[in-house]
This record gives sequence, structure tokens and C-alpha cells, in this order.
Amino acid sequence: MIYLLAGNPNVGKSTFFNFMTQSHVHVGNYSGVTVEKRVHHVKHYEGANLVDLPGTYNVSPASEDEGVVTYSLLNESYNGIVNIIDSTHLRRNLHLTIQLLELGVPSLLVFNLKDALRNNGYVIDIEKIKDSLRVNAISISARERHHDDQTQIASEMQNLRITKALELDYHHTIKWGIQRIHDLLRYDVIQVKKKWLALQILEGNEGIFKFLNLVKEDKIREVIKEVEDRIIEEKVAFSLKGAIFNTRREFIDKIVRESLIKVEEKEHSKYFNQKIDRIITHPKFGIPIFFVIMLAIYQVSFGKFLGVGSFLTNYFDIFWNDYLVLYLGEALEFLGLTGFMYGLLIDGVMGGVGGILVFLPQIVVLFFMLAILEGTGYMARVAIVMDRFLSKFGFNGKSIVPIITGFGCSVPAIMATRTIADKKERILTILTIPFVSCSARLPIYGLFVSLFFTEYRAIIILGIYILGIIVTLLSAKLLNLSYFKGAGSKFLLEVPPYRVPQLRTITYQALEKAKRFVKKAGTFILVDSFKFYSFLVI
Amino acid sequence: MNITDLKRDETARIVSLGKIDQIFNKRLMDLGIYESATVVMLNKLSSNRLYVIEVDDIEICLRKEDAELIEVRK
Ligand SMILES: Nc1nc2c(ncn2[C@@H]2O[C@H](COP(=O)(O)OP(=O)(O)O)[C@@H](O)[C@H]2O)c(=O)[nH]1
Ligand SMILES: [Mg+2]
Repeated sequence: MIYLLAGNPNVGKSTFFNFMTQSHVHVGNYSGVTVEKRVHHVKHYEGANLVDLPGTYNVSPASEDEGVVTYSLLNESYNGIVNIIDSTHLRRNLHLTIQLLELGVPSLLVFNLKDALRNNGYVIDIEKIKDSLRVNAISISARERHHDDQTQIASEMQNLRITKALELDYHHTIKWGIQRIHDLLRYDVIQVKKKWLALQILEGNEGIFKFLNLVKEDKIREVIKEVEDRIIEEKVAFSLKGAIFNTRREFIDKIVRESLIKVEEKEHSKYFNQKIDRIITHPKFGIPIFFVIMLAIYQVSFGKFLGVGSFLTNYFDIFWNDYLVLYLGEALEFLGLTGFMYGLLIDGVMGGVGGILVFLPQIVVLFFMLAILEGTGYMARVAIVMDRFLSKFGFNGKSIVPIITGFGCSVPAIMATRTIADKKERILTILTIPFVSCSARLPIYGLFVSLFFTEYRAIIILGIYILGIIVTLLSAKLLNLSYFKGAGSKFLLEVPPYRVPQLRTITYQALEKAKRFVKKAGTFILVDSFKFYSFLVI
Repeated sequence: MNITDLKRDETARIVSLGKIDQIFNKRLMDLGIYESATVVMLNKLSSNRLYVIEVDDIEICLRKEDAELIEVRK
């Protein structure tokens, strides 16, 4: 049994996925963190798999990222859909829900962030939702990981209702268009309902033409044109898409009025957030604040003063050289291994690997703090702060997310660019990411700095980073002036609320990244120290 | 008037998105910005170059040149 996990960006899909499958995919508080498709077994439900799809506001693809969802719905086999909904942003989230319900596939609606909604003073009347949408639904807080929720979700998933597709009362011209396109689709073999496909086509879902070779494509496009003209002429709306959107919005309004219940009057935290935002993104102080934060992070990781990282490294060093290497040496001598083998193992391998591993505590500390930063929602503010500056180089502030990811590792960073809607801008970002200093280069910097400098180490490392950034920006500018001349850049950012990151996720993320780092760097260094030592001796 | 004419915390109704090109229009709609929606001007940042607006329950940040294309009425 296969279930697709769909939902808007940043609603807790990955958190839910981890909760239900006991796995660990990346969780972050900004849009566009999940970019690959992942599959895992569902707990308490033998033989069921959950597929984590990238977040999307809409079934129709606006960026490549969102195309994955249309593609999966059209071409993959699945038994049901699990739709994660951010209860604190119902109106926006339900647009996707409606499109999924119109598909008429067995679905489970998961209203997530129950805790956050309650904090705002509201609850959701889940029985009302079940009644009016005729669908399985549950209200949970994926982050709190209640065992009861887990079992209930598993049992709901096993007992999904087979429902009729949701039918909204669209304008008669649109209904007419749906019927016309439906008739034109009769030569095509398609796994989804043709009525749904017709509506999606009218809405402007170009992914359908891309993923399916429709026999009557030209005729269908003529119908779209005709419906669009009539909608505008009859003053139903300013566009066909707008007309469809409005009908859905009215329906959503009704649902929200009926099922969102106020239980407590709460002072809105929004205005407080705005105040913080004004300080953090201040035109003069925004960038300095960002650098101070980064500097503080590097200081704690690599510096002496307040240096948690260096502190741990000291102990690690003692443990490694004074205990591990010492005892291993004695053991080898005891076994009678001396000469070349002894040297290879102790000086070559232990020395070489140890030389890199001593940086491990520092790197874990660094990753840990970057994960905290990411979890709070500060990154979106950095995007705001950086927009003005980055726009001079042909980026927009949004490129900052992949660029920051690039400090961790270039590969996921390049994947994260899929959320940038503008193609030119996306390619520009991809081309310049490799100039950003990824974490694998860190030990090299560390080595370099500890060999040549005794003071101001954090500042020097930051300096090397900044140098990398400057090169990144200059190469972007160069590309912008030449190949990508005139790339228009747009900035549209959803501002996430500030959230307190969860210790569990952050720790996990930091350790996971550290593990990857050890694996990658470790293998190279192991092999190289073998080679190097042999080379030296022979 | 357009959205940038609003003062902080002022509320208005969107009357037209007609000046905005199709692709950007679609992105706005995905986020829930549509004609006849109610907007609140939450914040003006970066020396009035960036505007944070709220539509329904979503907070969105956009640039001045794009915000100016959103016609509103109080
Ligand atoms: N308060 C609260 N926050 C949550 C809950 N579920 C997820 N989050 C947070 O929402 C943010 C986005 O989560 P993520 O799983 O990455 O969302 P995705 O982009 O949909 O995969 C993270 O900061 C999570 O910690 C929840 O039930 N309650
Ligand atoms: Mg995710």
C-alpha cells in the first residue's frame, strides 16, 4: 500500500513523516526544505509506505519543485493521499486540500500544529470537517509525537473512506468548459478522473501537457481560450484562474467559519513579531546583526574565548593521543608488530585520521548552532536583510537559503534551488553555489589557521568564509552581466512565524551532518594517510 | 491607490492585480493574494523597499516595485 504525503511548504510534513515512520528526514522552519522524494514504512500499519512529496500550494506546478506533485498524481500508483494541513493557516492550506479532494482519491486530512493553534486561542471541530467534506480527518501535533495519535493515524489510514470526488459549484461557463475538455479527453488513457484533469487544465496546469501526451491538445487549448474570454467578458472575474480560485475561496470561507472555533481570547503575538522583525531586518543594522550572529557562532565553535568547540576538542585530543593511540601502540607492541606496520597504523592512520577528527567536536558545535538558527525562522529574516544587497548581483534574497545550505554541503544546496521559481535565477544560483565554503573544507581551514595563526582564529575563519562569499557574488555579477543579461528577479517570501526549535530535531540534525562529514572526510583521509605514509617510508 | 500607500497596521481591500504579469500573479494567488481580499500592511522594512503584508492568515514579504502594482481601496 502506498500513500502520498502532500501539503503546503513548511506545515510539518517532514515532522509528520519522521513521526509516522520513525525516520529522520530534514526539518527546517522555512519553505522548500524537502526537495527529494522519500519513501518509508508506516508504524503500526504493516505493508504501508509513505511517500514524502515536496511542499506545494497548488497541484499546478509553478516551479519545478511543485511539478513533482502533479507528476506523482498523474503517473504513480498509490492507494491514498495523506494531506498535512497547517491549522494556523487554514485558508491558504485548504486550496490544496480542495484540489486533492476533487481528485476523489481516498484521503486522510491531518490538521497539524494543533498546539500552535491552541496557543492562538482556537481549536478545530474535526467532526464538523469530517461531516462537511465527507473524508477522514484528524487533528494532531506532529511535533509532540503522541503515541495515541500514531496508532489512530495508522488505523485511519487502513480505513479510508472511498468518497465521491468533491464537486464545487463553479460558474456555469467553467462547468461548460470542463464538459468540453472532458469530451476531448476521450481518446486518452489516464489514471485519474477526467473531470478533475479538465478542471486542472482550465486552471492552467501546464504540467498536464508536459507529463501526458494528450491527443487533442490543440483543441483543448482552444477551449481554454474560449472559456477565459467568456469569463472576462461576462465579468465573472479578471481571469479564468481567478474565477476558479474565487469559488474555492468562498467554499473555504464557509468551512473555516463552521469548523474553526475560538476557545480563548488571546493577545496576538503578531505585533510583537513585527517589532522584532523591524530590529532584526533594520536597513542599517540588519547585516551587522547577521554577521555578529555568525561571528558568535564561529567563535563558540572555533575560538578560544567562550570556545565550547575548542574546549571539547582539547578533551578529544587528550582522549585520542594519550589514551587511544597510546594503548593501541602498546597493544601492537604486545602483539609483536613493529616497524612498517606499526608506523603505518600509529603514525599514518591514527595520526592522519586523528588530525582531522580533532575538529569533530568543533564541527558538531557549529552544526548544532546553525540548526538552532534555522529552526527559529531567522533565515527568512536573513533573506529579507540580504535582498537589497543580493539584488545588486542578480540574485534575490531567496537565494540565501540555498547559499546558506551551501555552507553545509553543496549537493543539498543545489537541490534546494528548485524552489526558486525564475529559471535564470535558479541557474545563476546553482552555478555560484560551489564557491561557497562547504563544511568539508572547514577542517582544511582549521588546519590552516591553527598552523599559521595563534590569535583571532574565529575572525580569520570568518574572513575565509567572507572571501568565499565575495567570490560567489562576483562570479554571479559576471554571469549576470554576460550570459544571463536582463534576468528579471522577483522576490516573494512567505515570512514564517518565529518558533522555538526542538532540541530533539536540532541534535539529530547536527549529529547527522557530523556523521556524513566523518564518512566523507574520513574515507579520503584514511586512504590518503595510507598512501602518504607508505610513500614516505618506501 | 496602491498597497504601498497604506500606513503600518492599516487595512484595505485589493481591487486589482491587473498590472501584474501572469506568472507572478499565479504565485501571488498560490499564496492567497487575490482580488477582493483584505490586506493588512504589517511592516515596511529595509527603508521602505520591502513590504510585509498579511492576507487572510499569511504573511508575505515583497519588493516595492511589485507591491506598487497591487491596487487597493480603503
Ligand atoms: N508548534 C508546532 N510546530 C511544528 C509542528 N509540526 C512541525 N512543526 C514545525 O514546523 C516547521 C516545519 O516543519 P517541517 O516538517 O520541516 O515542514 P515541511 O516543510 O512541511 O516538511 C518546523 O519548524 C517544525 O518544528 C507541530 O505540531 N507543532
Ligand atoms: Mg519537509
